[in-house]
Amino acid sequence: MALTNRTVTRRSVLKGSAGVAGLAASSSLLGTPLLAQERTLKIGSYGGYFEDSFKSFIYPGFTEATGITIESVTQPNSADWLVTMQQAASAGTVPADLSLYARETMIKASRIGGLLAPLDLSGAGNTANLDPYFLFTDTTGILGVGAMSWFTSMVVNPDVVEVPDTWAAFWDTEIYEQSLGLSVLFNSNLLDIIAATFFDGPSTFDTNEGVEAMIAKAAELKPNVALWWSAESQMEQAMKNTDVIGGMYFHDVAGLMAADGFPIASVFPKEGNPIGYGSWCLSAQSEKSAEALEFINYSSDAATQAAMSLNIGTAPLVSQELAGLSDEVFASVSGSPVIQPNYEAYLDNETFIKETWEKMLAEG
Amino acid sequence: MSSESIDIGLPKATEPASLAPILGKVARVVFRVLVVCFCLTPFLLVIAISLGEKIEGAAWVWGFEFTHYERFFAGADWPNSYSGIYLQKLWYSLYYALIAAPIAVVTAFPFTYFLTRLTRRAQTVWLIFLLSSLSLSEVFIVMGWDVLLSNRSGLPMVLRELGITDWMKATGWFDVAREWGLASPRDLKFKTSLFATVLTMSYLVWPYAVILLYPALSRLDNSTVEAARTMGAGPWAVMRTVILPTVRIPLIGTTLLLFVFLLGVYVSVTVFADPSQHTLAVSIYGSVRGSTLNAPFGAAQSVILLITAGLFLVLSQILVSYAEKRR
Repeated sequence: MALTNRTVTRRSVLKGSAGVAGLAASSSLLGTPLLAQERTLKIGSYGGYFEDSFKSFIYPGFTEATGITIESVTQPNSADWLVTMQQAASAGTVPADLSLYARETMIKASRIGGLLAPLDLSGAGNTANLDPYFLFTDTTGILGVGAMSWFTSMVVNPDVVEVPDTWAAFWDTEIYEQSLGLSVLFNSNLLDIIAATFFDGPSTFDTNEGVEAMIAKAAELKPNVALWWSAESQMEQAMKNTDVIGGMYFHDVAGLMAADGFPIASVFPKEGNPIGYGSWCLSAQSEKSAEALEFINYSSDAATQAAMSLNIGTAPLVSQELAGLSDEVFASVSGSPVIQPNYEAYLDNETFIKETWEKMLAEG
Repeated sequence: MSSESIDIGLPKATEPASLAPILGKVARVVFRVLVVCFCLTPFLLVIAISLGEKIEGAAWVWGFEFTHYERFFAGADWPNSYSGIYLQKLWYSLYYALIAAPIAVVTAFPFTYFLTRLTRRAQTVWLIFLLSSLSLSEVFIVMGWDVLLSNRSGLPMVLRELGITDWMKATGWFDVAREWGLASPRDLKFKTSLFATVLTMSYLVWPYAVILLYPALSRLDNSTVEAARTMGAGPWAVMRTVILPTVRIPLIGTTLLLFVFLLGVYVSVTVFADPSQHTLAVSIYGSVRGSTLNAPFGAAQSVILLITAGLFLVLSQILVSYAEKRR
């Protein structure tokens, strides 16, 4: 769940000026007198830089193309939003017609039931551009369509250490003692990285013994961890202040920090980096399914995917060729190989994995 | 606040004589309803949620089961295996509060004492400064100390520039620091550490300590101090036998209040404490707002933290009254 705690402050400053300009340009469009029957759609996205970028770079084009006005709604993050949506469903209100869900939260919403409406994609041909992995289906139908993706990558301070080509390098206490910044959350994908590096990949999650073995491997990292971060900004500051010289962090933000002159290199080691992605999901109470589908279709368009990569720094869900991105831009937002996190396991066995993880952290 | 005080507030003179008692009754009922709504209901709600049922992989539903309390004391895997990690977290909640609250009071006491000896004007300036510093949230204070302790611009940089880090490397003290977890192979580091956590927590409640001690110390009768001095008592003897006994109740009260306040500190612990020394407050937040959506377990932990705080307050009350009787 990469985006849950994102508080991208620096980027908002970076892009702020561009955003203002974009808004100014788009205000004329938003202010256009609409036809007698005004069509609107409420869309939720993670607040701050993220939402601002959508308002500046994505929504105006959609309104121009379809005449549907978008009302932007701020989501704190996808897990908290699920609590809000649950309460809204029992109260019969619709905070947003479409909102962004991380895959794990989307599966959770599907299991809770009654929160999301199935989507009929027959009128949204552009969704064929997406890899089927990004269309989430449960017994009721297609519940989520991918919006954008991001990578949690291996980062190091290239001024202090040689750039490694494997995650296993972080276990070397000679180099990394008290020097790494890793996420404190049990489902932050460190276990997926360990599964890919030392075990049999996703199937390692199938048994409790497998989970325990992976967490024991994570325990070996403890002498090397200086910061177990819970908010993205903590890791950003720690890398900038050189409190840590490596760890896991978001690939796109790391790239922007490096461009700003901070000592950080984002690496795709031979095992790969875990991918996270957000999906558009329709609220079960919404009466705007037609408008929502038009937006999903627009979002799945290769040109929109490219615009997101260029302006927001997310990885496209369509191929590089289709999006027409240069190698340089593509490398700044994406890479290979890809580690696909075992989301189902984190949910099926959540109490066991969380508590085993917490026990590992709690041992002195 | 008693209901009588509301009676007094009613404009009796202008009302017909027969209406006043009715209005009084209405006011009393309204007051009680407000107390129930705003004080009791949240507590009852937390207790009710703590008995709810967690659905694995989804959220939770209302229920009546004690599994979350069982998990607190024995772990989720009980009875297959035992785990005391939540008791450990409760211990750390108490541990930090037990260290940081007395440190704040002990350091704030001399400051406040000398503050009350200053001119009226100087006292006012200091108090305004301290009161305004209370508007700084915990987040700001933690951010500030985060920078002050950071490698590039904080204390490790100062020690490096002064040559102390190199001296420690040459004399072998650096390896001792590494063993204590206070250094990487290259530099000294103070995050995460017990030192940083307790420092921030004491700093956080220090202005409260001054403001709570100020009324008692400013009312201190100077003539008793002067009398003791005239009779030949040194400054330390005066402090020990005259001043401290006079203000012992406010001292104990302040320490207790800060102790209870510190039980719930969240940001300082998440940022400056190693996860092996995290408190119950962090675990509660993780259960309620974290991805597992396990509000019942979070509520159960809150209830236990609440009971523990209550027990400590009752215990200290008993100790104080026992000490009073012995005098």
